[in-house]
Amino acid sequence: MVAVATLPDVTPGPAATARPGQRRAWRGIVLVVAAVYFVVPMAVSFWFTVYSEGQGFSLAAYGRILSAPGFLPSLLLSLALAACTIAAVLLLTLPAMLAVRLGAPRLRPVLELISTLPLVVPPITYVVGISTALREGVDALAATPFWATLIAIQDERFPFVLVLAYVMLTLPFAYRSLDAGLRAIDVRTLVEAARNLGASWPYVLFRVIIPNIRSSIASASFLTLALVLGEYTVAALLGYETFPVWIVTISGNDGQLSVALSIISLLLIWLLLLTLSGAGRKRR
Amino acid sequence: MTVPAVTAAAPRGGGRPRSKNWLGALPLLVVTAVAFGIPALTLLAGAFTVKDPATKVSSFGTANLSRSLQGPYLNALLSSVQLSAVVAVAAAVAGTFLAQAVITSRFTALREAVLTFSGVLSNFGGVPLAFIWIATLGNSGVITTALGLGPGVLYNFWGLALVYMYFSVPLMVLVVTPALDGLRPQWREAAQNNGATTWQFWRYVGIPVLTPALLGGVVLLFGGAFAAYATAYAMVGSTVPLVTLQIAEALTGDVLIGYENVALALSLDMIVVALLVMAVYLPLQKRSSRWLR
Amino acid sequence: MYKFVYFREILRDTPLGDTVIASRVRFAGLAAFLLVGTAACGAAPGTAAPSAGASGGGSAAGVDARTATSAADFGGLDKLVEAAKKEGKLHVIALPPDWANYGKIIEAFKAKYGIEIESETPDAASADEINAVKTRKGQDRAPDVLDLGQSFAISGAAEGLFAPYKVETWDKIPENQKEASGLWFNDYGGYVSIGCDAKKIAKCPETYADLLKPEYKGKVAMNGNPTKSGSAFAGVYAAALANGGSFDDIQPGLDFFKKLKDAGNFNPVETTPATIEKGETQISIDWDYNNAAYAPKMAEKGLDWKTVIPSDGKYFQLYAQAINKDAPHPAAARLWQEFLYSPEGQNLYLGGFARPVLLPAMKSDGTVDAAAEANLPPVEGEPTFPTEEQVNKAKEVLAGGWGAAVSG
Repeated sequence: MVAVATLPDVTPGPAATARPGQRRAWRGIVLVVAAVYFVVPMAVSFWFTVYSEGQGFSLAAYGRILSAPGFLPSLLLSLALAACTIAAVLLLTLPAMLAVRLGAPRLRPVLELISTLPLVVPPITYVVGISTALREGVDALAATPFWATLIAIQDERFPFVLVLAYVMLTLPFAYRSLDAGLRAIDVRTLVEAARNLGASWPYVLFRVIIPNIRSSIASASFLTLALVLGEYTVAALLGYETFPVWIVTISGNDGQLSVALSIISLLLIWLLLLTLSGAGRKRR
Repeated sequence: MTVPAVTAAAPRGGGRPRSKNWLGALPLLVVTAVAFGIPALTLLAGAFTVKDPATKVSSFGTANLSRSLQGPYLNALLSSVQLSAVVAVAAAVAGTFLAQAVITSRFTALREAVLTFSGVLSNFGGVPLAFIWIATLGNSGVITTALGLGPGVLYNFWGLALVYMYFSVPLMVLVVTPALDGLRPQWREAAQNNGATTWQFWRYVGIPVLTPALLGGVVLLFGGAFAAYATAYAMVGSTVPLVTLQIAEALTGDVLIGYENVALALSLDMIVVALLVMAVYLPLQKRSSRWLR
Repeated sequence: MYKFVYFREILRDTPLGDTVIASRVRFAGLAAFLLVGTAACGAAPGTAAPSAGASGGGSAAGVDARTATSAADFGGLDKLVEAAKKEGKLHVIALPPDWANYGKIIEAFKAKYGIEIESETPDAASADEINAVKTRKGQDRAPDVLDLGQSFAISGAAEGLFAPYKVETWDKIPENQKEASGLWFNDYGGYVSIGCDAKKIAKCPETYADLLKPEYKGKVAMNGNPTKSGSAFAGVYAAALANGGSFDDIQPGLDFFKKLKDAGNFNPVETTPATIEKGETQISIDWDYNNAAYAPKMAEKGLDWKTVIPSDGKYFQLYAQAINKDAPHPAAARLWQEFLYSPEGQNLYLGGFARPVLLPAMKSDGTVDAAAEANLPPVEGEPTFPTEEQVNKAKEVLAGGWGAAVSG
């Protein structure tokens, strides 16, 4: 009896059959705790927007959103900025990360530094820096053609200055995502093989590397889209009416409307991300 | 097929190509220099500009910096570092567990939904985030009244940390998912076949492979929590001293005039803290990923 | 195993034509991008010229609106209206619709003169307004007129950001409530008040001493931090006056709030309409015109919001108007000031529960809206004002001591 009892300790079999059950339970607990933590506050706020003591249950707050002026222009501006920022961030970061992995390993600390500093500078300080730089740049470069560029990037219809700011703000997140993805594939071998077969650098980038880090690129794009659609401070202080700025402006003195607007904006971003990820999958 | 590859690859490994490789990083460096370097330089200039209130004459000096490292400012800086560190570590652990639970689940729709929702929540902050928690755990919050908890549950250091996790955990999930995806199931099977328990697999294979990504995530979360302020302002005010609150109050407000340069010096302090964190993180990261190459 | 998959993909696309075309497409894209970029550079002079022109123009019949210091310089109010209508637009900043009735004031101005008003970031603070003026110099997006806290008006004038202008009712503004050459002038003000939801609270507090009572545990909030929010700063100053301090000594105010926090009554949440509706900030220290403006809106939601000016801590403060020296619409800016200081404009302020600066003059004139005046929260006596030095010193003490007072 004793000998038989010791056998289960040695063979991994019984332990393996016990594990899936345990694993399922552990996973269930984690998911339930996460669901409670994330969903309950949202549910409470949603309830706040539809129920009030004086008026009872009503969806009036959401009706007011639809009739609020400026919804579509600000949303389109934010989406355009987001698209531009995503493209810019990917086009700038991927070649740099490839360069580091392939032949310039000493640039890695520089890249890590660049990708952490924008994170640590609070948006308010960054905006003050940008506006001071713009102000002094306009004064200093008044006689040169660059003055026109400085004014053009601040154009209300499409403020390129915001794209530049957002690229810097999203760099930490995009870099981390892409870094994790590039670690999972053997970049050196892939690139060497492709170059040996006669591929040009753009080909290597677009047809070899990118298809293999799809989930990282998706993460980075999600993070960027969410950042641009949720970023208030830089846009507000530079004076552009992007979607998050419009939300704060239009809420006015109506408490239910302001909370309803933030819930709607979260749903909107979520729908956009679902569409993006769905489109990404279909291409396979 | 392999021999020509080797001889063709050899010259590429040395001399000239190495000096050309860094060109890939050039666009990024240029854009960073313009979009971040120039504002950073103006900040530096401002941080070292001392305006004499009596004569209104500006000169260069370190008075702002020394002021920013004393009294209430130093207190706030330390408190901010403490809060960010706590949030970063706690959210990193929670986020990794959540990501693993989602990835290994049988429902692929769950993965999709959680990843996109994480994307949405990773940038959720400010007044709306403060409001949903005030509505839930505030002094008159739904849960507070339901469970009969006293007032002040949320308005302290730990309450703020709890709220900060709301955007930190999703961010960690997003950052660590590609790394978890990279953990090949073959490794798990090989370990099992060799008699390893779950714990041994994670200890000797899983966690070492994940460590670079985990460390990167912690740094990201630290930075994000360090620079956040709108949520804290709307929810706890100055009852939890934070350096970002003081910077915001000096640079954009209806009360303080003439404190801008101190605020810029405080921002410089924040950057120095970040550099210190990087100084600890970079060697750790190099060491943890060396064996992976 | 995975590497073979990659090789397969590469091999499949090796046909030379495909690669070459793919690269050509990419380079074409790059070239197009560069072309657009340089076009943006080249087009800028075209777009820049009108803005430069706008800042230099705005003149009607030879009068340069940018240097006009009164309606007389235009040749009368009608000529000013004409010049403003020609400009057609006014750009304002930091004017929330429910703050001192600015929503109705903007509507009234638009209806009367047909001039379009762009109201930007209503939530902006005085420092943001000054920054906007400085950063957007020469651009069409710069704000034309500013509504600033007193200290910001003074410092902005010292920095040379404003244009001097004297409205037609200039002489009726009290001497100490305007800058001598017209760089800034007070427009409206209010007292620090205690707002309270009478439905949720049995007995509303009426003085600062009341706030310390144990029945208000966790309920007393302010409109933000005193180091950032003007009304919260005034709240602390008023608390100092109520507890043995003076305009020179704000420390008792800090001590009061420390006591409030230790008693557990202090709620650090920033009061917003949402938090009031939710029932989190049941008592709020704020300007009386803000608290009073909440009442009608909250009544719809089933709350009964009452406003009381505490008798032990009375603190009154005025805001100030100023015109941007580089305003893109100078005539419209000056017309706006004329409108605000006309009886119509001042009565609109009164309708928003604020105390307009011309109130004493209008009462003696008989032009005051008596019904609106009756709605003001009651207060006794005349207000006294601290000097700028006293205020600056108080701010310094506050900046150094507020954190220590309420944390821990």
